[in-house]
Amino acid sequence: MLKAEPRRQSALTRIFNPKYIMVYATLGVFLVIYLFGALMYGDKGFTTLRTLTLMFSDNAYVGVSAVGMTMVLITGGIDLSVAAVASLTGMFVAYGVTVLGLDPWVCVLFSLAVGTALGLVMGAAIHYLNVPPFITTLTGMFMARGVCALISRESISIDNPTIDYLAGLKWYIMRLQDGEWVKLKPVAYINLSVLIFIAMIIIGTIILQKTRFGRNVYAIGGNEQSARLMGLPVARTKVLVYGFNGLCSVLSGIAYALYVKSGWNLALQGSELDVISCCVIGGVMLSGGVGYMQGMLLGVLLKATIPAIITFNGTMNSWWAKIFTGLLLLLFIIIQRVVVASSDRAKKTE
Amino acid sequence: MKAKLNRETVVRSKLLWAVIAELLILLVGFIMRPDFLSVQLMTLADGSRVLFGTPIDILNRSAEITIIAMGMTLVIALGGTDLSVGALVAVSGAMALKFLRWDVLEYPTPGDYTVMPYFLVILVPLAVCTLMGAFNGLLISKLGMQPIIATLILMVAGRGIAQITTNGKQFTTMYTPFQQIAQGYFLKLPMPIIITAVVILGVALFTRKTSYGMFVESVGVNPNASRVSGLQSSRIILIAFMITGFLSGISGLIYSSRISSCDSNNAGINNEMNAILAVVIGGTSMSGGKFSLTGTVIGSLIIQTIVTLVYFFGVVSEAIMAFEAMIIAVVIVLQSEPVRKFFASRKRSRASATGGAVRA
Repeated sequence: MLKAEPRRQSALTRIFNPKYIMVYATLGVFLVIYLFGALMYGDKGFTTLRTLTLMFSDNAYVGVSAVGMTMVLITGGIDLSVAAVASLTGMFVAYGVTVLGLDPWVCVLFSLAVGTALGLVMGAAIHYLNVPPFITTLTGMFMARGVCALISRESISIDNPTIDYLAGLKWYIMRLQDGEWVKLKPVAYINLSVLIFIAMIIIGTIILQKTRFGRNVYAIGGNEQSARLMGLPVARTKVLVYGFNGLCSVLSGIAYALYVKSGWNLALQGSELDVISCCVIGGVMLSGGVGYMQGMLLGVLLKATIPAIITFNGTMNSWWAKIFTGLLLLLFIIIQRVVVASSDRAKKTE
Repeated sequence: MKAKLNRETVVRSKLLWAVIAELLILLVGFIMRPDFLSVQLMTLADGSRVLFGTPIDILNRSAEITIIAMGMTLVIALGGTDLSVGALVAVSGAMALKFLRWDVLEYPTPGDYTVMPYFLVILVPLAVCTLMGAFNGLLISKLGMQPIIATLILMVAGRGIAQITTNGKQFTTMYTPFQQIAQGYFLKLPMPIIITAVVILGVALFTRKTSYGMFVESVGVNPNASRVSGLQSSRIILIAFMITGFLSGISGLIYSSRISSCDSNNAGINNEMNAILAVVIGGTSMSGGKFSLTGTVIGSLIIQTIVTLVYFFGVVSEAIMAFEAMIIAVVIVLQSEPVRKFFASRKRSRASATGGAVRA
């Protein structure tokens, strides 16, 4: 049996592989905007590690959800139900803990089961019934929001020692000074949400890059028909991707619940599009087949930088953040178009 | 006789399912409350007699979604989607109220006045929304962007623009001609019904009496083939998005007139989702091609009838979404390809067994 020897590439060609061009574009724009912030507000502490870790912890719930969304988008689908499922999770935990007096872990496990099951059902409807993902997940979103309102229309605060403990967990970033570890000044720390985010990014990257399942995801996004003809398990992969996304939405809901310590049926309204825009800014293409977790991570950071700069400015209206995010999306889509057009041209001339 | 399952019959059978669903929901309403279908003449305070009743209410309340869904039908028939309509509704309302009050600090009390001429109050929001539609259309037709992402830009930025227009404040107005847009009556019917009827008629005439409708279907089925055969697909796409923007503007004026105020956070929220659902329930496929304006109107009525019916049960407004989702899920599953094929094959086998007496 002949075994193909993998062609060794030098580290440089591997790093500057043209397939990462979108990730580098995001990195470039992020650095430009960060540098702008650093030059304008460096004296006010924009460049401190504290600002950076706060950007992480304020957006961890978006990022966790974006891990699942990245995978769904790579298959060429879309999931609009993520924010509604996250909000439902918060409601489950809040209602279960505060009103029913259940153990928080029971509520978390229940939410995980419900979210994953909803994802699997939606995936099955998309694949077997051939309903467009947009419509299926829209129905899922309506369902989750509706159930949320059926449970309670009022915001329920979570009052539980376990949740308080989890929300209060902080790992301070230390530095070595005169032979002993002291807290950085101004204090910078990461909390549980950030840890979940980082863990999910690592898990997502491993699944996408190192497993057969991940390769199937890319193959389906590239061309579903070809993937089926090649004998890849299209049905199983698609259904599992939506299930995984459901799981990520629940984890995002838990991260959000830890962040605000309450459950509300209107929480995270419209946040599904924040998640999608993070992915798009990070170079994940909605047409499927293209995208990396690393790019998405940069997308989340880039999207977090804009409100940070507006906060540091102090005089600007916070609604400008929405307009700047819109402009950023426009910029990235244009970059994507240019990249796709030029690579198409390169392929034609080859 | 062998049943032919061509596109025509497919669309018709989807429409049929939608009509059946609407009738069933109305029947449920009628059984629950016998006065569900009754319409009476009622005398208003100023002595004029107007029609009143649940069916009128359903038609009245569905106006905003029906109007948007008319444009959305064209966009979806082209194989696209427009996510920005809800944000445009907010922009339109904010612009109108801005022109009515101009500055709440200069004109602190809401009253029966307008600061800018009334025609500007109506025309500027419509023009701005049409321009925003054109922006969407240009991104899609000239830059070749995917409609979902291109319209996502304005969906995100639109509400910011609306907020900045009114400086984040909620303006209220008592200006009678503006309030008449949604609260007035004409021909014994609430004004929104009349406006909706005019819009439906306008879009139907424009698409069915000119060649535009056929061009839309052609581009929706195969953009490349249409371009090669000489259709200016970019212009056709641009017009569809401009129409949708314009109609969102009208819808925004109706909404802000209904509440006599502007609410940039909540105006038109989920309108894009409801409009897309109305179109899909009405039998127009998300993958583009043939479209049915009648189907869209029925789809929009289905959504509003469910909402009204569930209100009767005393369910809180946000929870309605769960019931909406369930019924829509049933309709969509019934309309989905495998299920329809299953029914078609059963009918066909029965037809061959009875010597072709039953048509599929």
